[in-house]
Amino acid sequence: MTQSSGSESHDRQWRIWASVAVLATVLSGILLGVLIIPVVQGRSAGIDAYTAICRALGVLPGSPARQQIVDRTPPTPVSQVVWTPGLLQVLADANPVRGKAKVQEVCSACHGERGVSVSPQFPNLAGQSGAAIYKQLSDYRSGSRTNQVMTDIAKSLDEATLADVAAYYAAQPKRNPDPATLAESPPAIVHLVELGDPGRNIPPCAACHRPGSGGPIEAPNLSEQGRDYIVAQLKMYATGDRRNDVYGRMRTIAPKLTSTEIDGLAAYYRAGFR
Amino acid sequence: MSTAASVMQTIDAGLARTLFSWTLHAIVYFWLIPAYIAFYTIVPRAAGGRLYSDTMGRLSFVLLMLYSVPVGIHHLLMDPEHGTGWKFIQVLLTGFVTAPTLMTIFSVTASVEIAGRLRGGRGVFGWIAAVPWDRPVVLAGGLSFIMLGLGGFGGLINMGYGMNAMIHNTAWVTAHFHLIFGGSAVIMYFAIAYAIWPRLTGREHPSLAPLRLQLWLWFIGMMVMTLPWHWLGLQGQWRRVANFNYADPIIAAWGPWVIVSLCGAFVLLTSALLFVRNLAVVHLGTLPVRVRPLYAIAVNPPQHVPAALNGFGLWNVLLLVLMLLAYGYPVAQFVITPSPSAMVHRID
Repeated sequence: MTQSSGSESHDRQWRIWASVAVLATVLSGILLGVLIIPVVQGRSAGIDAYTAICRALGVLPGSPARQQIVDRTPPTPVSQVVWTPGLLQVLADANPVRGKAKVQEVCSACHGERGVSVSPQFPNLAGQSGAAIYKQLSDYRSGSRTNQVMTDIAKSLDEATLADVAAYYAAQPKRNPDPATLAESPPAIVHLVELGDPGRNIPPCAACHRPGSGGPIEAPNLSEQGRDYIVAQLKMYATGDRRNDVYGRMRTIAPKLTSTEIDGLAAYYRAGFR
Repeated sequence: MSTAASVMQTIDAGLARTLFSWTLHAIVYFWLIPAYIAFYTIVPRAAGGRLYSDTMGRLSFVLLMLYSVPVGIHHLLMDPEHGTGWKFIQVLLTGFVTAPTLMTIFSVTASVEIAGRLRGGRGVFGWIAAVPWDRPVVLAGGLSFIMLGLGGFGGLINMGYGMNAMIHNTAWVTAHFHLIFGGSAVIMYFAIAYAIWPRLTGREHPSLAPLRLQLWLWFIGMMVMTLPWHWLGLQGQWRRVANFNYADPIIAAWGPWVIVSLCGAFVLLTSALLFVRNLAVVHLGTLPVRVRPLYAIAVNPPQHVPAALNGFGLWNVLLLVLMLLAYGYPVAQFVITPSPSAMVHRID
């Protein structure tokens, strides 16, 4: 046997045994992880072998070692509004001129033609986020939010009109803030707005409710809003009477606020903040 | 990438995380490789010894490559988008990476022991004192091994599914990767820089004392910074948040350890500045370099290296097989049964 063929067979030995070792490693992993362990674990949980293996592979959902509680009740989302690219396109394509016509016909009686409401119990809509207005109208339409007056009105409008109305009011300018109101805010309220209260797991209000804050798209801009309206909404969130907030965010926060804080926040947001 | 380029408006979060994990672990081993190269090729010579085993070294690198790439799902053990079977397979493969690590610890320690005994060290531990620790590369190797032991132990905990569940998303994880990478790998980067800068510039270090000081400061700083950090992770301190509310009494109890950690960080900063200074001194210096051999020779220099250990052909094929088996379905599932995509939130 010559030197080169000896070393060649040596090389071949290495290749063969290396491949065997590596493949044995991964195949033993597959054997244990996909076949043996799931079946054994499944047996003690009352899951048949086929289901256990499918779950271990991820072909079926759930753990191979536990019975998953299967809740067949269809989930009812708090709102039917889904912020898809399609919906965002609808909002972007909305026509404020058509919206103005509808506003003059229907909305201005309570919300004013420029979005300044005629009575403190009706919210101001001037310069409000278009997405926020659209969502509330849509929720009235679908029943996710209820109001004696708004439900019937919203049901009489179609989706394109909702977008047009939202776009019109969003384009209205806000009133000038009353400087006296700005100066009166107690420090505790300002702290709550700007920094929240981590001890009660309350995030800063400004984290979502200030324009450009990066919060959820449907979070309304709260500046220059009616005092009575804000108090009423916070109290309804606290009791759960209003429940169209996605992920229950407001229903988590509102019950933790004292009534002094609710009054203070409403006073704070009566003024305008850019 | 297509989402970042605004070609798409949604992102499949599960697929994105899976692809990220695929590259992530390979990347950290990519960073580790220079340190391991230094362990095998530079440290034994610097200590005045020989590399204990050439074959063991080659085998270590091959095993590192095989078992550090198809193992990314061990970063997704808490994620719901993968079946337990795939997690098990990849954790098993991860477990096998302890083999090259232990082999490295063994053969490099043996190589340094050879140096110690050649210098007159006697007894089971007596050779340790005889090793030339005054040489920066040797010192760095020793300090690196201490941090490798602690950081590696932490890695074993991260690798175990149950133990990982306890430290997931806690400060333990950040402490671990600072210790293992910032500690044992980066200190070897310093050692490599100290070893090759004179050869690159043709100028010598005027004194080795500042080099040793810098390495000791890095070690002390890293230990002081990361050990309390590990402890806080076990206490439950979470990660990936912008701030902590120290008014909360539980979080307030962590405060003193955070301050200790911060002191360690300042020591590291000092060490980093000293490192730059040490290299600048060589760069701007005038002392001509004494060229010494850099690379270690093995105790038994190989007459014939098996082709398998002298090239990557075989291992690339095996790695491809491992990748297909370990990652094939986990990635393909996003095409076979697409999950709901998430909207991309763009900051204007």
